[in-house]
Amino acid sequence: MTTYHQDRHWDIFCTVVDNYGDIGVTWRLAKQLVNEYQIPINLWVDDLNSFSHILPSLDPKLNSQVFNGVTINHWTTPLPVAFVPGAVLIEAFACELPEAVKQQLTALHIQTPKSVPLWLNLEYLSAEDWVDGCHGLPSMQASGIKKYFFFPGFTPKTGGLICERELFAERDAWQRDSANKLQLFERLGLKDIQAQDTVYSVFSYETDSLPALCELWQASATSDDKIHALIPKGRSLNSLQHLLPCKVDELSPGQQIKLDNLTLHILPMTDQQGFDRLLWSCDFNIVRGEDSFLRAQWAAKPFIWHIYPQEDDYHLIKLEAFIKLYCDNLPPNIADTWSKLNVAFNQGEQSAVKNHWQNINPVSLPLLQHAKDWPIDAINAADLATRLVQFVKKSYDAALI
Amino acid sequence: MKTAHEVRPGNVIMFEGSPWVVQKTETTRSGRNAAIVKLKLKNLLLNSGTETTFKGEDKLEDIILDRLDCTYSYFADPMYVFMDAEYNQYDVEAENLGDAAAYIVDGMEETCQVTFYEGKAISVEMPTTIVREVIYTEPSARGDTSGKVMKPATITGGGTISVADFVKVGDKIEIDTRTGEFKKRV
Repeated sequence: MTTYHQDRHWDIFCTVVDNYGDIGVTWRLAKQLVNEYQIPINLWVDDLNSFSHILPSLDPKLNSQVFNGVTINHWTTPLPVAFVPGAVLIEAFACELPEAVKQQLTALHIQTPKSVPLWLNLEYLSAEDWVDGCHGLPSMQASGIKKYFFFPGFTPKTGGLICERELFAERDAWQRDSANKLQLFERLGLKDIQAQDTVYSVFSYETDSLPALCELWQASATSDDKIHALIPKGRSLNSLQHLLPCKVDELSPGQQIKLDNLTLHILPMTDQQGFDRLLWSCDFNIVRGEDSFLRAQWAAKPFIWHIYPQEDDYHLIKLEAFIKLYCDNLPPNIADTWSKLNVAFNQGEQSAVKNHWQNINPVSLPLLQHAKDWPIDAINAADLATRLVQFVKKSYDAALI
Repeated sequence: MKTAHEVRPGNVIMFEGSPWVVQKTETTRSGRNAAIVKLKLKNLLLNSGTETTFKGEDKLEDIILDRLDCTYSYFADPMYVFMDAEYNQYDVEAENLGDAAAYIVDGMEETCQVTFYEGKAISVEMPTTIVREVIYTEPSARGDTSGKVMKPATITGGGTISVADFVKVGDKIEIDTRTGEFKKRV
């Protein structure tokens, strides 16, 4: 590798697996690298239709377009836009690079090895211990090129967590004035929500836990303490079909389903900034996967994490690993209830979910305080983009010695 | 070719024209069920070590070297000494045994495969399944009999593995040496 110049572009390749998760993470990272480090970024995405749900101004029919300073290229076979090797090449979440790109890298490695980009595999986020030992390790490829595994994580030995420089300041300013949340709800077409009402956001996979919680919320809401559950069209609502007046596909954003003093609101799709603000504005968030899971932590509000289900219940090991970290500074009784609530929700155990939810209400203030303190602990001095840029610079420096 | 997931300690793989012996494998799961394999390798030409990570389905070029069925004889620090059917002895550096060292015990009868590179014994591959006695483990905490709740246990030879909650001190257990996982009580 030659000397690292910040004006050389980076390429990020992303395949959309589950609508908004993988693309959500890579889109945030791409924007942050442009905004905070002025690095030219080409983001290659295979499914622009899904991408357009979180970037509504994106035109899925265009092969190349620029938003927020990021060049977004449609990744098809063959590539409609020529791939030009830059300083860094990131395959997001172990996606397989196009064969033509790999061939180009191999040819470059034979002809001018110093011009081969630093090749990184950006992996999924996990709180498990093994991540410390795997982050930053090379992977020797048959071509002779080394690819490095970059693991997001919660400890100083990992690649850190995606978090924009000004995010916490913006969040604090937002949360200081309750008028912000009411204006946001209005802009999203969510009617009849008052400042004193309790508001939950729900963005989960299908689960039996949701009907149980709705039943509980319906029973506990009163005319003086109304509850609003904000739910986008999609997988969460599939679990609540029995409460809906029509099929999920036929629901419209802004539509309300009233269940006594509980109101289910159908959320419109929103961009990433809008989603952050929604999480900041709710009293409790139920989130899923990786991107919304992290954003819920940055929202400084209590949450349930519905983790992506894996074979042999392996996801429960990942959930336990996070719970262990998150609960480290929590009073034992609160930690116990919060962790049991999360485990029960993920296992779809309806009576346990209800039981633990009821138990967590009386301790919501300490839990809220913990949710406010946690982001500072979790960010661990440096966010992912900062650590990524440092890693790239060190790799280039090491190659020159 | 083997996938990274199939590689096990004792295998020798080629990279950039050099043979590397696999000393240790560690398989974990990333998001969406994808396996990640961490390997500890030793370059047989330079005698230098490295750690590396692969996707589980990455293809690696394994090379077939001479192998001999041997039994463990004794330990002469830092060498483990193995013997073939004709009573020839072969020394293997403790470091090159990797994970297998945890399963080596005096008097063991299992047949191992010793691998040779340019006439030198470089690694040992254990049988896929071995039986060892549990010499220490905490009593069952929850009375679980399903086999899903696990706890640590020390086995003869000093290694520690995760076993089912119902396993007791003195039990003999079957272990998969490829993964280090408890299989069943025998």
